Amino acid sequence: MDVRKLLNSRLILVTGKGGTGKTTVSAALGRLSAERGARTIVAEVDTFRPALTPMFGQKPTYKPHAVAPNLDISNISWRDALVEWLRGHVPGQRVVRRILDNNLVQTFLDATPGLRETVILSRVVTLLEQYDRVIIDMPASGHAISLLGVPNVAIGLMRGGPIRERAEVILQHLAAPTTALVIVGLPEEMVVNETVELWNRLKKEVPSLREPLVVLNRAALPSLSDAERALLERLDTLNMSDLSPVQQELIRAGRWEANLEASTAESLVRLDEELGVPVIPVARLGALGGFDGGPVRIVQQVASTLKRAELAAVQAAGRAQS
Amino acid sequence: MSFSAANLRASQGPPLDELIGDRQLVVCVGSGGVGKTTTAAAIGLQAAIAGRKVLVLTIDPARRLANSLGLSRFGNDETQIDLSALPEAKGELWAMMLDQQKTFDDLIERISPSEERRDAILNNRVYRATADNISGSQDYMATEMLFDVVESGRYELVVLDTPPVKNALDFLDAPGRLARFLDKRVMKWFLSPYDKKRVFGRLLNSTSAVVFRLLSHVFGREFLDDLAEYFQHFRDLYDGFRERQEAVVEMFHDRRKTSFFIVCAPNSPSTEVAQFFLDELSSRGMPNPGVIVNQRHLTVGERLDARAELSSAIDGLSEGLPPAAAGSLLARLGASHRRLLGLSKAEEAIVSSLMGSLRPDQVSWQVPRLDDEVNDLAGLARVGAFLFQRP
Repeated sequence: MDVRKLLNSRLILVTGKGGTGKTTVSAALGRLSAERGARTIVAEVDTFRPALTPMFGQKPTYKPHAVAPNLDISNISWRDALVEWLRGHVPGQRVVRRILDNNLVQTFLDATPGLRETVILSRVVTLLEQYDRVIIDMPASGHAISLLGVPNVAIGLMRGGPIRERAEVILQHLAAPTTALVIVGLPEEMVVNETVELWNRLKKEVPSLREPLVVLNRAALPSLSDAERALLERLDTLNMSDLSPVQQELIRAGRWEANLEASTAESLVRLDEELGVPVIPVARLGALGGFDGGPVRIVQQVASTLKRAELAAVQAAGRAQS
Repeated sequence: MSFSAANLRASQGPPLDELIGDRQLVVCVGSGGVGKTTTAAAIGLQAAIAGRKVLVLTIDPARRLANSLGLSRFGNDETQIDLSALPEAKGELWAMMLDQQKTFDDLIERISPSEERRDAILNNRVYRATADNISGSQDYMATEMLFDVVESGRYELVVLDTPPVKNALDFLDAPGRLARFLDKRVMKWFLSPYDKKRVFGRLLNSTSAVVFRLLSHVFGREFLDDLAEYFQHFRDLYDGFRERQEAVVEMFHDRRKTSFFIVCAPNSPSTEVAQFFLDELSSRGMPNPGVIVNQRHLTVGERLDARAELSSAIDGLSEGLPPAAAGSLLARLGASHRRLLGLSKAEEAIVSSLMGSLRPDQVSWQVPRLDDEVNDLAGLARVGAFLFQRP
């Protein structure tokens, strides 16, 4: 996915390892999209404790509601999605109510393999009909793979019927050039491993997905000069027992930040070598590396980074042409 | 490492091993990205060093345990970790990652009354798709595997690493959910149209008939047939399933056998999840001795004057470098320390608010963020030392 096309996509799926900032990136993309005048919805998937709440100061419900001009949020709970789905496919409200009032049927539906995922994805397709842009804050790695893998499973299992038909429509959307996959990662060795593995597995489970764009969150961008780094390394060779605790602590603090910069540089190299997809680094914010200043401000900062990355890509393309 | 013990002042109360004692199961829960897998592996390693035979089991679909143990990859097999680099280790450390399909297949193998029944289940299309791919069965399989390894008696301690928050709750509920799924009444209802003797009475009068016709419209008749076959196979196996599930639930609640530890990082999203787990485990009556706060940034000193402290040391090291480098690096070190201190204080505030909600019998541990990423045994041993240190 080209950075320049990201914000023209109809459907943006945001996933990655737990704790990397998927929700922040989803919210930031939502803000940017809405600012540009597109009717946008940011939705999370059946979360017990909605993660979007702190980003917008309002709790998302199944029914979308506005948090800013052009911007709605929602939490796609699977039970609501099921009710909606049944209403769309079952003639007569009376029958739907009868189904939903029957505990045995409820349990059966709960246990039917793949139904949960299918109705959630079906809701995503419905949202695409109602909005210019749909941004999904997906579950973390392994569960994202299960979710996106279900349409293929359903097609394998069912030879006909509305679920199979819906699964086919979902697959078409997943394969569309206007669908973007964003994987959020952090500049840490294990997170990079998982980011690489996630895409390799997704590619296998859902071969029609197009290649993703990686957002490298909480990146420490290079700020030390070569001479400063060389000098810090020499300081590090001093015998620590000759130094006072205060001297040691100053050197340790310097090394802490230098290490963050080094892991960011290394992560960028690895992502390029092992995935070869575009990467947008988002700088760590303030001392807390992303958690100070409140979630609303962080979303703004991430949004402006994404905007700059997009602009830089446009300029780079312009230079390449001229 | 230059942390002084005073600076750490981390753990209140007894070290972790006293709380674990001779328990057979430790479960680590918490949000993603907080070092749960690392913590599980570090606890396992410490217990192995102390002489126990330990299995670390991860059900995280992302398979991160291999990373933590510095191994390239291992499957559903119990793999012994080479501890020869740690001569003080008296016990054994084993590790295993959940291979869902294989766990399910092994289970069917074990509880099937005959080879024919086994093959019929293993070849059922719904079974193949479910066991392999659908989330939810993952959580169930984890409890299945857990039951298996704990009951086998092959290990003195099993340390379980769970997936991130939402799914960890599914995991706690998995036994109950599956038991409901296999509820005889539900099966009977669903299978009644397939029961040749009763098919007419069923289809002529009941709500079920309407619903069933509807379901075949929704799912397609063929899928329903496959599903019915799947359920029919399982009907006879129900008692075996239920017994095992009940045993796992019982084990989860047994304070003599099990401890749940909440793992979090010192930031608000993560401590909110930790708070949520504190409440959940408490309301479910599951034994939870406390919270482990990972990745703490710690430092000493306020407003350190880098120029005064390090000018003389740096002067002797600047040979061959531009003269300005020393001054700019000193400024940089001072600024780095101020940022580290700010971070440390902000974390302190977040953590102490979580600590305030612990019960008097609960303990907290703090593990500093280590200078290098923890991805080998030496790193795990360092993490473990913070959890197991004596006051």
